[in-house]
Amino acid sequence: MIAVDDRRPAPVLANQPDPAARAARIAALVSAVRQGSDEALGQIVTEFSPLLWHVARAAGLSPSDAEDVLQTVWMRLLEHLDEIRTPTALAGWLVITTRREAWRVRAAERKQIPADQESFAELPDQGPGSEEQVMIDDQRRTLWMAIRQLSPRCQELLRIVAFVPRPDYAAIAAELGMQTGSIGPTRGRCLAKLRALLAGGLEGNA
Amino acid sequence: MTRPDAGSGPSADGPFDDVDFGLLDDIQEMYQAADPMPADLPDRLRFFLSLRDLEIEVARIADEELSAAGVRGAEQSRTITFDSESLTVMIRIDANADGTVRVDGWLAPPQRREVEMKTTVDALSISSDEQGRFAFTRVPRGLAQLIVRPAEQGQDEGGPSVVTPALIL
Repeated sequence: MIAVDDRRPAPVLANQPDPAARAARIAALVSAVRQGSDEALGQIVTEFSPLLWHVARAAGLSPSDAEDVLQTVWMRLLEHLDEIRTPTALAGWLVITTRREAWRVRAAERKQIPADQESFAELPDQGPGSEEQVMIDDQRRTLWMAIRQLSPRCQELLRIVAFVPRPDYAAIAAELGMQTGSIGPTRGRCLAKLRALLAGGLEGNA
Repeated sequence: MTRPDAGSGPSADGPFDDVDFGLLDDIQEMYQAADPMPADLPDRLRFFLSLRDLEIEVARIADEELSAAGVRGAEQSRTITFDSESLTVMIRIDANADGTVRVDGWLAPPQRREVEMKTTVDALSISSDEQGRFAFTRVPRGLAQLIVRPAEQGQDEGGPSVVTPALIL
């Protein structure tokens, strides 16, 4: 139906509904933005900003600094649009630029906000909820406790990867310095460790 | 076949499997619940980007107050003051009966300028009078932003264009 010049094999991305169509759509949006379409730019901003928000917050920025960084990154994208040659390159470029800009802001401010200041443990306690809600809260708390036992770098990477659309995993994994195998991105140390923690109970495994 | 990593759990070198994808989905949900992006951020970013070609001075909100209009109970009038280096802009926002709002504004120092109200629907443009007064009688509710430009194109006697942050009317 749609011809895409994307030669990357996509076996890893089995769960994603039609990566080719997505790539074609993003390519079309990027080329419309090149021709000055504010509408296309708006669609890209709406689609990728949640990911970039979590990249910036994972880097330890305050909410208002995160917003400033997103503003800067989107401005910069417009200046560097010619460097985005494939649809999958867009997510990679955005994530890396956001991360660098976040580091720059943090270094400039020397305002370090430790990750565990976000007191997640308090969040699910919103009084008695439905049974299902209680169960979800329990699962989340277990997951959160396990994630907190990972290194700060792993916590950051997993938070980023969790928001990356699957077709973009490969590009982003490479950009973030995660190992990639011959057929695509591998699970990596962080996810393997998290799974071991969750499987083995949380105690004594840090 | 599988080579357990240090005796427990799956290998770090293995490809993603369904358990990984499920776990990543859970992680996404967790952060989504704990620390979501502000819902209006994409709209504000779009607004900001739509102004990218202007030579602008950005005004900041210096003051904001609500005053009860008395008679109609729930309806309040909202007054906001913006300061930029060259200009102070004060606006008063009142609800119209038809669901739109009326925006009355004053520029200080008083001067004739072109004033644009950018909304998500369209952009309204008028001129302020010699006393720096201007009024938009019907503005749709939602995000809006004021841009104060020189009175005539290409003439910069009145100073640079000034833009306010996006507001929710």
